[in-house]
Amino acid sequence: MAGKSKTIKVDYLARVEGEGALYIRYDDHGVHEVQLKIFEPPRFFEAFLRGRDYTEAPDITARICGICPVAYQMSALHAMENALGLVPTEPLRNLRRLLYCGEWIESHMLHISMLHAPDFLGYPNAVAMAKDHPEVVQRALEIKKTGNALVRLLGGREVHPINVRVGGFYRVPGLESFQALRPQLLEAHTLAELMTRWAAGLPFPHCEQSYECVALSNPSEYPMNEGRIVSNRGLDISVKDYEKHFREQQVPHSTALHSLLIERGAYLVGPMARYNLSYPQLSGEVRSLAEALGFRAPCNNPFKSIVVRCLEVLYALEEALRLIDTFQPPDEPYLAVEPREASGCAATEAPRGLLYHRYAMNEQGKITFAKIVAPTSQNQKTIEDDLRLMLPKFMHLPEQQLQGLCERAIRNYDPCISCSTHFLQLHLQHEPKRIS
Amino acid sequence: MHEQSLISNLIEKIQQLADNEGARVVGAKLRLGALAHISAPHLREHFEQATFGTSLEGLQLEIEELTDIHHAEAQDIILENLQFEASDGQ
Ligand SMILES: [Zn+2]
Repeated sequence: MAGKSKTIKVDYLARVEGEGALYIRYDDHGVHEVQLKIFEPPRFFEAFLRGRDYTEAPDITARICGICPVAYQMSALHAMENALGLVPTEPLRNLRRLLYCGEWIESHMLHISMLHAPDFLGYPNAVAMAKDHPEVVQRALEIKKTGNALVRLLGGREVHPINVRVGGFYRVPGLESFQALRPQLLEAHTLAELMTRWAAGLPFPHCEQSYECVALSNPSEYPMNEGRIVSNRGLDISVKDYEKHFREQQVPHSTALHSLLIERGAYLVGPMARYNLSYPQLSGEVRSLAEALGFRAPCNNPFKSIVVRCLEVLYALEEALRLIDTFQPPDEPYLAVEPREASGCAATEAPRGLLYHRYAMNEQGKITFAKIVAPTSQNQKTIEDDLRLMLPKFMHLPEQQLQGLCERAIRNYDPCISCSTHFLQLHLQHEPKRIS
Repeated sequence: MHEQSLISNLIEKIQQLADNEGARVVGAKLRLGALAHISAPHLREHFEQATFGTSLEGLQLEIEELTDIHHAEAQDIILENLQFEASDGQ
């Protein structure tokens, strides 16, 4: 049956291309329109989730993104538990926070070193940067490995963790496996401090914006898995009122919906929003470093978000150490629950910002409705606004330089869109002067 | 979304080469750059998921993980070769 086999040599590079496009309409008077087009998969997953079992939502949504799978899992878990009236015990809650620390470290380090840093140092990519600054890339990979280790320990593996379930975990590792991570976390902490000092010394373009920052917030801790949704302009609501205050809008130019604050418009989610709203909840050590480096909150320059990410990595490492040192094994790895007709929602702080999920299920526990609002769609309008404000000064630049600048501005936000917009297609539309 | 675009780009290329060759692809060898933001198991899983139910289902994927961060293609995934089963209509 098997014929003769043969091998052909290919040497073809698979790359991410064409997923991001930016349209700029301008004339001699200024920039009139900026449209960022990005591809956003949560929409496909919402349809895909219908009819699946409620227990499958965390694992299915984890596949939306390889950079932030834990974030999708956490929002899905909490939404399902909210629907079924399940409240995780303190030890389970702490384990989830520890897992989330791992993802913050992984995602932030990737963003800082592979996408953000080459921009500041003037390299086209991390490979070119590694030639002259190998220590930056090596350090980042070392710190990132610590995040991987945390995700592997609690998630069962590094990507698309599989150990997480509604009600808790399938299996809780023994005390010794937590303690074993201590030296690595301490080492990563030292490196992260160096990284923060290095990042604070980068040359930042002047770009102070005025944002409505939106993030989870709670009085006793820096936000990760829960809290009220607050803003620096007076918003203070419970997560279940999210859809009363935020509206998603279909825009013709993008597959991603734009999310807006009703009657207020664009807003910012992500590390800078969290930092500006919850600065007092950071550890004393992180705050004194921030102050020593002149980076005390608020920070409203999107280019400086690289420093905020470094500070959040430092915090996540400290928090992971604290959680490991106070680790109490839960009585049960998970709380059992019977499905019933119910609906619920939750929001958590993905590394790149607020991630909202809402589900409904029938009495067999089959999902009848799913809604996912990812940080990308929440920041999209703000990114366009940043560009609109920034561009008039730069429209005279040669197209290639202009493209690089736009890519940089987009990369301030989100590693998950950054990779799809790494090869941004720039469409410039110059309108002729109208004579009236 | 990063991996979704990568994988569809890769699959498109394999499909196109298979059509040119007029034979069934049974294996593919990839080189994964040290800075490609994706691990070999992760890549394999996405690939299997994306080819499930298609003519590429069951294709043997060999992934060589490169460790050199200074390599010119450290951020890329390279399709090195494809193995075909000579189909003679039997
Ligand atoms: Zn992501």
